[in-house]
Amino acid sequence: MKIGIVSFAHMHAYSYAKALIQLEGVELAGIYDPDEQRGQKFAGILGTSYYGDYAELLSQGLSGIVVTSENANHKEHVLAAAKAGVHVLCEKPISTNAADARDMIEACKAAGVMLQTAFPVRYNRSVIRAKQMIDEGKLGRILAMKGTNRGQNPGGWFVDPALSGGGAVIDHTVHVADIMRWFTGAEVKEVYAEIGQLMSAVPIDDCGILSIEFDNGVFATLDCSWSRNPSFPTWGDVTLEIVGTAGTLTIDAFGQKLNVFSEERGYRHHFWGDDMDFGLVRDFVASIAEGRTEANVTGVDGLKALEVALAAYRSAERLTAVSPAEL
Amino acid sequence: MIHVLVIGAGAMGSTHAAAYADMPNAYLAGIVDTDAGKGARVAEACGTSSFTSYAKAMEALDRVDVVDVCLPTPLHKKHVLQAADDGKHVICEKPLARSLADAREMIDHCRSRGVRLFVGHVLRFFHEYAHAKRLLDDGVIGNPAVIRAGRGGGYPIGWQHWYSDFGASGGITLDAMIHDFDFLRWCFGEVERVYAKGLHGRVHAQLDYSLVTLRFQSGAIAHVEGTWSHEGFSMNLEIAGTQGIIGYDSARDQPLLSFQRGGHAGGGGGVPVPESPVEENPYFQELRHFLNCIEQDEEPIVTAEDAYEALRIALSALKSMETGRPVDLGAGAADLSSKGVIGS
Repeated sequence: MKIGIVSFAHMHAYSYAKALIQLEGVELAGIYDPDEQRGQKFAGILGTSYYGDYAELLSQGLSGIVVTSENANHKEHVLAAAKAGVHVLCEKPISTNAADARDMIEACKAAGVMLQTAFPVRYNRSVIRAKQMIDEGKLGRILAMKGTNRGQNPGGWFVDPALSGGGAVIDHTVHVADIMRWFTGAEVKEVYAEIGQLMSAVPIDDCGILSIEFDNGVFATLDCSWSRNPSFPTWGDVTLEIVGTAGTLTIDAFGQKLNVFSEERGYRHHFWGDDMDFGLVRDFVASIAEGRTEANVTGVDGLKALEVALAAYRSAERLTAVSPAEL
Repeated sequence: MIHVLVIGAGAMGSTHAAAYADMPNAYLAGIVDTDAGKGARVAEACGTSSFTSYAKAMEALDRVDVVDVCLPTPLHKKHVLQAADDGKHVICEKPLARSLADAREMIDHCRSRGVRLFVGHVLRFFHEYAHAKRLLDDGVIGNPAVIRAGRGGGYPIGWQHWYSDFGASGGITLDAMIHDFDFLRWCFGEVERVYAKGLHGRVHAQLDYSLVTLRFQSGAIAHVEGTWSHEGFSMNLEIAGTQGIIGYDSARDQPLLSFQRGGHAGGGGGVPVPESPVEENPYFQELRHFLNCIEQDEEPIVTAEDAYEALRIALSALKSMETGRPVDLGAGAADLSSKGVIGS
C-alpha cells in the first residue's frame, strides 16, 4: 500500500512518516512540500522521493495521503486528494473555519474516499482504557470533566493566524474536546471562554480557559494554554479528570514517563508508553486495507472539535456563552 | 495576655483552641459547644473550661478579650453581632457570611462597636502558599498569566449535615473555594469577571464539584477547581508566568505519608495518612498574627474587607452557575441579584 505525505509544515509529519515506514506492507511513496529544501531533507532522511507538485504525488497510485500542511492549506490538499480518489488522514485542527471543514467532508464523501481527522490522543493507551472503563459503567453517569492540553508556544506559522486560524485556542482545544465528545457520546451545547495574549510577544492568543456545557447536562473546563516554558520537563500535557456518580477517573496521558536529570538538558520527562502516533497511522492504514468508507475518527469529529474552538473565540469577543450551532 | 473564648468545638474550633493554648501571649479562657461532651473533650485537651452556651461562658468568665467564632456559616452573624455588642474583638471563620448583606452588617456593626473583626482566611498563612506569593512578588516567574488552583476531597459531614444544606453552606464554592478566591485576589489583584459551572442543582447526591474561571483586571486568567467528589483531601496551585512556572500539589509533594495496616498482618484495611509537619502550623501563625494586630493596633494581612471581596467572588460564581452567564465584578456590583450579570 502506497501512502504519501503532503507537507512537513506540521512537526507531526515526521512522527507519522516514521510510523508508515514501520508498518508492514506500507510504502512511504513520497513527500510533497512547497518548501523544497525541507521536503528534500525529509525525503532523504526517510528514504523516499520528493515531489514539488502534490498533483504529481497524488498520481503515483496512492491509497492514502497524510495532510500535514498549515491549517489554512488543509482544504486545498484534501480536496485534491478527494479528486484523485485517495483516502486522507488530515492533521488537526481539520481547518481554520467550519465552512472549509464542511467542504472537505462533502468532497471526500462525494468522491467515496475516507477522511480521517488526526486525533492521536484517541490512541493513547490510558485514554483507551479510560473509555473502556466508562463504557463498562465503572464511573456511573459522567457528571463533570476537567481537561488540560497545555504546551509551549510552537512559534512559526502557528502564530500567524492567516495560516493557523488562531493560537493556543484552535491548536489545543480540539484534542481534548474530541476526547470529551468520545467519552460522553454527547455534543457541545455551549462554550464560554476567557482568552488572552499574556505571554507571547507576537500578537496571538496564547492562554485560554474554556467552560463547556454538553447537551446531556455534563459540564467541563479545558485549559488550552501555551503555558509550558522551555524549563518545564516536557512539551506539555493531556490530562482529564472525570467525576461520575459512581466514581472518579484521573487521566494523565503522558504519565508513563521516566524522570531524567542530565547535565546537558536538566530535568526532562521521557515517555515510555506506547506511541500514539503509531497507533493513529496504523488505524488509518488498517481502515484503508479493510476497504472501509468511514474512518474510526471522522472528518465530522474534526469539525465538531473545531467548532468548540471557534465558539470559544466568539465567546471571548462577546463575553457570553456561545452555541456551536450559532456559528 | 489576651483572653480568648472559642465558640464551637468542631474541627476548626479544636484546632484554634490548641493554637491558643500554645501561644505565649494568649490565654484560652474557655470553649463553648452545645454538645457538652464534645466541648469537655477539647477543653480537657487544651487545659481550659467548657461551656454549653456563649451566655454561660460570659457569665462565668472574669475576662474575655476576643471571641473566636468557629461555627457553621449560618451561625456566624448572630455570634459576631453578640460579641461586638459585648465589646469583644472578633475572629470569625470563613466564609464570613452566606450573603453580602450579612457580611456588610457584621463588618459595620463591629466597626460601630469599636471592636476589631478578623476573618480566618488561613490559606494566606500556609507556608507553601505564602512562599509562592513571595516568589511571585520577587518576580521569579515574571508576569503571571494562567493560574490553576484546586482543593477538595470527600463530602464533609459536619454538624447535623449542615454542609449538605446549600442555603446554609453554599456548597464547596462558598465554603472551601473561597480560600483560593481570597489567595488569588491577594496575589493577582481585583477580579473583573467570574464564570462558573457546578454540580449544585444537577445531581441529587452528596457530591459537589465546581469549576470556576476568574478573569483579573490585570488580564491574568485563573481556573479554580473545588471538589467534594473525590477521596482524601488535597490542594494544588500552579502559576504560569512569562518567565517561569510555580507549581504545588499536596497529593504529589508529600513530605510524610504513614500507613497503618488493618487488623490482619500484611493485609490492607487502613488508609495512607499524609502529614506536612511544621514548627508553627498555619492556624497558629494566623491567630497569633490577629492577636498581635489587636495588641499593636495594626492592619492584618487579611482584612474583613478582603473577606467581603472573597465572598463577593464566591457568590458571583454561584450566580454565574445559576444564570449560565459571566458575572461582572468591576462596576461596583455589590448587587448579586441580577444586575452584575453580563448580557442580561
